[in-house]
Parts: sequence; C-alpha cells; structure tokens
Amino acid sequence: MNPCQDFHDEFELYALGLLDPAEKTEIDQHLLTGCSTCEAALKNALAMNAIMMSTAPGVVPPARLKRRVLASVGVHPMSWSWLAAMAAACMLVFALWLSVQERSRAAELAQARRTLIDVSSQRDRLMQALSFLDDPATVPVSFGKGQPIPPHGNVFVHSRLGVLLIAANLPAAQAGKTYEMWLIPKGGAPRPAGLFQSQGGTAMHILSGPLDVGALGAVAVTLEPESGSPAPTSTPIIVAPVAGP
Amino acid sequence: MLWKLLPVGLSYVLLQVTLRFKDDGDLAKRLQDRDPRAMSDLYDRYGRLAYSLIYRVVRNSGAAEDLVQETFLRVWNRIQSFDRTRGALGPWVLTVARNRAIDYLRSVDAKMSAGALELDRLESPPLFSSFEDSALSLDRARVLKTAFEKLTPTQKQVIELAYFEGLSQTEMAERMKQPLGTVKTWVRSALKALREDIAGEAIA
Repeated sequence: MNPCQDFHDEFELYALGLLDPAEKTEIDQHLLTGCSTCEAALKNALAMNAIMMSTAPGVVPPARLKRRVLASVGVHPMSWSWLAAMAAACMLVFALWLSVQERSRAAELAQARRTLIDVSSQRDRLMQALSFLDDPATVPVSFGKGQPIPPHGNVFVHSRLGVLLIAANLPAAQAGKTYEMWLIPKGGAPRPAGLFQSQGGTAMHILSGPLDVGALGAVAVTLEPESGSPAPTSTPIIVAPVAGP
Repeated sequence: MLWKLLPVGLSYVLLQVTLRFKDDGDLAKRLQDRDPRAMSDLYDRYGRLAYSLIYRVVRNSGAAEDLVQETFLRVWNRIQSFDRTRGALGPWVLTVARNRAIDYLRSVDAKMSAGALELDRLESPPLFSSFEDSALSLDRARVLKTAFEKLTPTQKQVIELAYFEGLSQTEMAERMKQPLGTVKTWVRSALKALREDIAGEAIA
C-alpha cells in the first residue's frame, strides 16, 4: 500500500499535534524526504484545520484587548476612540466657554434692560409730573416754609390726575423704614396714598387717579415701616393743607 | 453539534476569513517592516476570530484575553520567517491561537510535558507558505459545514474533541470509554468524509 496515502489520513491530526509519538516521527521523517504529494496534502490539512477553527461561535472581545495587544508589541496608537473622546472633550470645553460668554452677555443685556426700564420709568414720572405743572386746574400747595426743620416743597393736587408731591431736604429713611403719603379728608381719617423713598435729599411721589379735591383737607407724609401702614404710626414730617380749587 | 453552536453570522465570518486570506501578503510585509499600523490591522482582521476560538477552548474570558495577547505577540515576533508572497496569515494566526489555548488547557491539567514544544513546532511560519488560493475559499468552508452536518454524532464529537479540546485519540478513548480502535475509526472516517467533500468541491 502506498504509505503516502496512510499519511494523508493523518495530516489533520498531525498538524493539530494529536498523533502518538511514533506516528508523528514517521511522518516527520517522510516529510524530510521532500515528498511533494505529502507536502500538498499537509497544506490542505492545515487549510481544513483553519476553516474548522474559524467556526468557533463568535464572541466579541473587550475593547481593551486591542490596546493590550498593541501595547505588548510597543505600539501605542492614538486610536479613533481616543481621538473621538478628545474631540468630544474639546467641544465640551468650547461649549462651556460659549455658555459662560453667553451667560455673561445675557447678564449684561439684562442689566442694560433694567437701566433702560429705570430711565424710561423716570422719564414717564417726569412727564407725569410735568402734566401736573402744565395743567391750569392743578392746585399747588407749598409746605415747610418758615419751619425750623426742613423739608420743604410743594404738593400739586388735580381732580383728574391725582396728587404730585415734590420734597426737598428730605433725609433718606433709615433702614427698614419708608415714607408714606396720606390723604386726609376734611373731617376724616388719613387714607394711605403710597410709599416712596428720598434720594439725595429730594423725593417725588405721585398718586395717580381722580380725587375729590374739594373734600381733601391736607396731604401728609410720615415715616413708616418698610411695608407701609394702613394708618399713620408716627408724627407727620410733612403736612400740606389743601385749601381747595 | 459543532455547527449547531454556530452563530447566525457564521457565513459572514467565514467570508471575512476566507476572503481576507488573499490580501494578507501586503499586511505581512508591513508587519515585517514594523509598520505600527500593521499590528492594529492584523488585530482588526483576526482579533475577534482568535478570541472566539480561544474562548471556545478555554471557556474563560480572562485567560482568553491573556492568550490572545500571547498569540499576537508570537505572530509579531516570528513574522520575519513568514513567506509573505504565498503565505496564509489567517490560518497561521488561528493555528497559533488554537495552540496557545490547547497549551493552556494542558498546563491546567498538568500535562504540559513535551506537548508545548510539539505545538510550537507545528505553528512554524514556513508551514503556512505556498498555500493555494483555492484552499481557503468560501465554497470550501460551506462544503466543510455541509460535510460536518452529515457526520454521525460520535464522529462530530471526536472532531470537536480534537479541534477544540486538543485530545489525542487515546485521550478520546478514555474520555468516551470506548476502545482506541473504535475511536480511531470514528476519527479517520470523519476526517476522510470532510476531506473528500472538500476535494470533490475543488474538482467540481
């Protein structure tokens, strides 16, 4: 029998290292003769073994394994995942920077808007005050004249516009306190007419809305707690008697 | 049994393996030139296959990782003696991977002895040169699968014990509590059937 044929039956096991020592030695010696038929058969056996090995159920290795393998041969590549992570980090930092910038810009914008509202509000108040002064129906009343302790100033009363108070030499209210204006009807109890503060020694306060000027006896100002009071709790600082239209 | 365990994507995996074998020459050259990207490409081609094969043998993910690392390190260290013009990189990597895994199993069983040296010799790079392109075609892989399906249960079992557990025929006989002669018959008949079906496909 052709010995090569016997060997051909053994090459898969031979290549897998599973032959008994005697069988293996016999094949080793035969291959040393340079038998081309057996060499070709051995290649086929190796190929079949490889295909058989590749049929192991697929299992996904952990991502770190590639880094381990590369590191073991001294290769430390900047992998795409690292690049992606770095790009993501850079974008995050940029986004944060933009966010801070945006926040700062938003704060500035809010401040500008507040200032604009304040200015606009001041202008409206001045326009409102001017409308009192321009109207011939306004009843002006001065107060504080000849008193030893200022403040002094004027009250303007108008049946449709309301009451405008302008005071000078009025010190700023202490902390937790505010000025409160009162309308005192003739023979009646004082009615609250709004809270205000004095800035730089001067104050302007407007109570808008129609009122019965004829029934008004006086306009007064007291110092009250910050939230205001329903009735005066201190001695009036300003009292302006209204004589009527 | 073996084929029933295969994932749905087996054909795809086989396709990758068999087709990639053909352009391994360039990769082998870059490995020999110590191109840093070459090792990354080698892992991308065969890392998953090597891990799957090793895991199938050792059934331990930690050990499998160590053995995959050892496999690629060994390929890297021996690539200079690989025939890059007609060498088959994939079969070589898989053989090295399988041998590392079997070697590990034997060391766990305290059966290292001369086996390790023998496996070492059987994965020598020159063994994997002068491969015919057709030796590793997808068609052959399909034929092998079909042929395996036709084997008897005992034939399938001995094939699995040989490839994935590294048992010699004597060890199979002990494991299966069968006479050595019977086991040898199963092994030979199984391999013969597989071989003949592949050879038939080549002729056709």
